[in-house]
Amino acid sequence: MRRYLTKRLGMMLVTLLLITLLTFILMHVVPGGPFTNDKQIPESVLSALRKKYKLDEPLAVQYLRYLGGLARFDFGPSLKYTGKSVNDFIQSGFPFSARLGALTLVFVLLASIPMGVVSALRSGRWQDALLMGAATLGVTIPSFVIATGLLYIFAFRLGWLPTFGVAKWQGYVLPVAALGGYSISFLARLTRSSLLEVMGQDYIRTARAKGLRETRVIIRHALPNALIPVVTVLGPTVANLLTGSFVIEKIFAIPGMGAHFVNSITQRDYTTIMGTTVFYATFLISMVFIVDLFYCLLDPRIRLE
Amino acid sequence: MTIDPWAMAEQNPARREALAYNARSFAGDVWFRFSKKPTALTGMTLVVLMALFAVFGPMLTPYDYDKQSLSMGNIPPYFAAVSAPEPDRFFYVTANMKVIETDGQGRLIRQLTKKTDDFAASRVSFEYNGALVYLDYGVNPPVMLDPDGRPLTAGKRLWNRSYLLGTDHLGRDILTRLMYGTRISLTIAFVAAAVNMVIGTLYGGISGFLGGRTDAIMMRVVDIISTIPLTLYVILIKVTLSSGLSGIIIALSSVYWVDMARVVRGQTLSLREQEFVLAARTIGTSRRAILVRHLIPNAMGPILVTMMMLIPSAIFMEAFMSFIGIGIAPPMASLGTMCNDAVEALRANPYQLFLPALMVCLIMFAFNFVGDGLRDALDPKLRK
Repeated sequence: MRRYLTKRLGMMLVTLLLITLLTFILMHVVPGGPFTNDKQIPESVLSALRKKYKLDEPLAVQYLRYLGGLARFDFGPSLKYTGKSVNDFIQSGFPFSARLGALTLVFVLLASIPMGVVSALRSGRWQDALLMGAATLGVTIPSFVIATGLLYIFAFRLGWLPTFGVAKWQGYVLPVAALGGYSISFLARLTRSSLLEVMGQDYIRTARAKGLRETRVIIRHALPNALIPVVTVLGPTVANLLTGSFVIEKIFAIPGMGAHFVNSITQRDYTTIMGTTVFYATFLISMVFIVDLFYCLLDPRIRLE
Repeated sequence: MTIDPWAMAEQNPARREALAYNARSFAGDVWFRFSKKPTALTGMTLVVLMALFAVFGPMLTPYDYDKQSLSMGNIPPYFAAVSAPEPDRFFYVTANMKVIETDGQGRLIRQLTKKTDDFAASRVSFEYNGALVYLDYGVNPPVMLDPDGRPLTAGKRLWNRSYLLGTDHLGRDILTRLMYGTRISLTIAFVAAAVNMVIGTLYGGISGFLGGRTDAIMMRVVDIISTIPLTLYVILIKVTLSSGLSGIIIALSSVYWVDMARVVRGQTLSLREQEFVLAARTIGTSRRAILVRHLIPNAMGPILVTMMMLIPSAIFMEAFMSFIGIGIAPPMASLGTMCNDAVEALRANPYQLFLPALMVCLIMFAFNFVGDGLRDALDPKLRK
């Protein structure tokens, strides 16, 4: 277990280092510097700007300086908004994104697992066909289509829910539904197929043979094993929810990090793009790592690998 | 009566002909299973229809994706018009208070020129064949008035004959833009899938075939790439490249080959232990030829399935990026940018969103169905 852990941690650090390097390189090969403007800026101003943001140093030095900053959780200043740092954006945006993501994750788990269980237990009947039909729709329709469709129906036509903003709790309903659509469908399909497989195992027959009630067989014996594949995809699911939130935050005008990220890209605010990417990547990789640890604890067979 | 077990069997050439059948090739077998699945066939038909729509559509339409006619903006495909004072002429009032004259079949003739705007009476006057007609916007919905100030009530619902699917806010024909958008989506689908297939197959094939340390290093690289959130990097790479179609294709191709590489490596690892590879080696076939001629063709089934599964995510990624404004640059039409343009005026002109959104969904459905069908047809064991 410990060897596995150290190996995974080492891999994670290498990945993070590569991510920062890759982001750094990508941001420096971009055509047109951060100060490229419609108006011609005098050369003296440009060089002063470069000096201020330390862009006149050799690239390697800049990279090391950036890494040093990261180690102290300092993502550097924003190039477009004077006086604002990337940390300000993250601090103001992340709570919104995290709340949206956490709510969606809870909603996804609460909706998808029962969906999968019901359709596995009623497999081949109309309940199964209905739920799996809905799940097929959910995995194929892009999130922005779901989001705008929900917006049109529930906010514009019916007027039940607000069109944007998250000042009231109602504001979260549509974003959560739209963001979770894909993951719910995906996890429901996974739960169904994995539960179907488990239900055919010998130990389920044994549990039934010793006279346990069917609900107990399912809850105590089948589900814990059937949910292992679901746990493994939780990491990618979290990643999916976070990146999906770019478009959801844009549509519902939620001032989260996704919105900042998209804005910083269109404004070519390099330090913000870099900072947000590195932050996102670190967050996601840590999530995947935690999920994997959890998975290790759940299924002792993994450790042997 | 006993049957002599050693008697010669009756020989009947005619019967032998009837019993014999042509062995089905592997491709024929796959096609047989594929064609037995209604969803797969539907998907394939849809793909073919959409390809025809995207390739030949633009030749048949009189409009272009970037041809604007601002006077004809925001006209839906189906609208309610009121009868004009002239026979067989109708007025359609757009969401932003422009008055369009149409004929009885729904062909748009012109936009009426505005003469005066009387704020106190909330009434706009338009010049119409020498006389004035009025639009009273004090009530909701606004009412057209004839030259004597009486409301025009008679009318009918018309299908838009000039722009079959309506126009967007700049007066561009939505049908034409849909054709170009579909063209972009399909191009992305096929090119990105092909590029990823080549990179992934070669990478995975070499890694699996060489094995040992090379394999370990190459797979560690794949492991690291696959832990990086790919969406972020597609976006980042896209930002550093040009804003055209090639930018998106390069961005997609540079990260999505990882799955393909894993699949091919797994296949190669199991295939290279088989006897036919040994046989090839004994007769002195070069390693390159073994990989390219023997191993990869045998792994073609899983490769094709992985490729088909990759297509919907490539299409989605393009639409996603165009939707958040970093994909295809305007004025080129992409389904994602069309959806994005429509969101701003969703309340007034929902059709501008629904048409491209429907198209994206159809494309995604079609490719998913084909992918599922192909997976089941190539490897019935995978079927759930």
